[in-house]
Amino acid sequence: MTSPVVDIRFEDVRLAWPSKAGQPTVALDRMRCAITAGKVTAIIGPSGCGKSTMLQLARGFLDPSAGEIRFVDRRSGQSAPRPPMATVWQGFNLFPWLTVLDNVAFGLEMGGMAKAERHERAREALAKVDLKGFESKYPRQLSGGMRQRVGIARALVMKPEVLLLDEPFGALDAQTRLVLQEQVAGIVEETGATVLLITHSIEEAILLADTIFVMTARPGRIAREIEVTMPKPRTLADLKRPEAAALFEEIYDLLRDEVIRAMTNEGGTQ
Amino acid sequence: MAGETDLAGSAPSAATTAAANSRRWTLRAALDDQRLIGWGFLLALLAVWEFVVIQARISPLYLPRPTGVVAVLWQNIREGGLSTDLGFTLYRIFAGFFIALVTGVLLGVWMAVSKPVKAMADILIAALYPLPKVTLIPLLVIWLGTGGPFMLTISFMGAFFPIVINTVVGVQQCEQGLVLAARDLGANLRQIVLRVLIPSAVPSIFAGIRIGLGISIILVVAAEMVVAKDGLGARLFVAGQLLDTELVFAVLLVLAVLGILITKGQDLIDARLGLWRTS
Repeated sequence: MTSPVVDIRFEDVRLAWPSKAGQPTVALDRMRCAITAGKVTAIIGPSGCGKSTMLQLARGFLDPSAGEIRFVDRRSGQSAPRPPMATVWQGFNLFPWLTVLDNVAFGLEMGGMAKAERHERAREALAKVDLKGFESKYPRQLSGGMRQRVGIARALVMKPEVLLLDEPFGALDAQTRLVLQEQVAGIVEETGATVLLITHSIEEAILLADTIFVMTARPGRIAREIEVTMPKPRTLADLKRPEAAALFEEIYDLLRDEVIRAMTNEGGTQ
Repeated sequence: MAGETDLAGSAPSAATTAAANSRRWTLRAALDDQRLIGWGFLLALLAVWEFVVIQARISPLYLPRPTGVVAVLWQNIREGGLSTDLGFTLYRIFAGFFIALVTGVLLGVWMAVSKPVKAMADILIAALYPLPKVTLIPLLVIWLGTGGPFMLTISFMGAFFPIVINTVVGVQQCEQGLVLAARDLGANLRQIVLRVLIPSAVPSIFAGIRIGLGISIILVVAAEMVVAKDGLGARLFVAGQLLDTELVFAVLLVLAVLGILITKGQDLIDARLGLWRTS
């Protein structure tokens, strides 16, 4: 595919909703950041800090209460329409009544593509995630790791300019996660898409991202922006390199403070 | 097998124990088979019935013998037009039921996705659902007469409410993540309804079908007994009036078999729906 050119900019975005207590619940406040076209941006933060909310905002499933999410063409600096996006979900969200092949072909079918062609493309996408031969299985017949690979194929087949990964490995066991993280690192590198990765795993962020945004506890804001300069695609072995260890330390220190703050906040409101 | 014969040659006592063991084993297996137990019990019951009626010389007017009932049933199927009656009854049940299925699912989905529609329909359903539908027979006869439209309506009313209510529940229980995933993949509202909400509600809709079809059968047969000139209910009623006890039993037998077939058919479909349940 042609490499993506549209940046996603959060400009002083606030997301709040009224609560019974009178004080509105503020998920995000004065959030400013730029998700660079063609790069992998990871957002990491304590749970409840509004990470997934950012993804929903970028996708357009939520509207900000204040501020703006802008799509900007890098070449001209002009506003651009929302580029095509596809999401990989933590809970997989596969349609249990459809076969693996029809799950992957679902988006193409919604777009009106003829059966033969969409099945052909779905087969190719499944081959890319090493699921050749599982086309006629149903999701319930697959392991968690396989289901998420179906989820990845279902997003990739849409040839999105922006790939949204919403804690994609969060529901998997530790071993499966390790293997899949490496595989995804390779797949993502190959597509060249803009990637927004929501995660709470520091290793995962270092493994996959060009830029890591560390978020504060609620209301979520960017605490620090960290560039990861190690060559890509990275493997688990790269995580043992000294620069990775230094990054881990830096992020961990930030997060620990935020997690403690989030915990005390919770204690205070209860 | 070869091993056993060898054993029998060399050590007769061991062989007999083995044989006894295997016999006991088959007996136990037979006792474990639920279907065999069920059918065996039914046959035994019928045999006792037959035997008691013969021994006690009970008049067939009160209690006919099972074999007599089967004979009358067979004769009525061949010459008495019982299969025509069965056809009428089935047509009435299923015609009304299918109308209820289509309209019930459509209204149920509409209620589940639109709050005003739900508010309006809820109040009507709350009023009509608990009402025993047989009580509507007189009113429906006044409005529609006793012909086809009446029968369709009565069968429709039996199935409609359970199907609507279960469809609403099924659609509302649809995992929100699936709707988001469909939106993410570019589905529009119509596609979300048809390709996500309805499929995910299928197990619940099917539970409604189970209940609804049962009520439709009851209503149609009851209505036939009251107003119809043909159909199983009418045949049953006339046979009762003429004290044709054997025919009464024969019609009941047909209804019972019909019930079994429908229930088993639903069980088969239900098993296939396992697909939906575990995700």
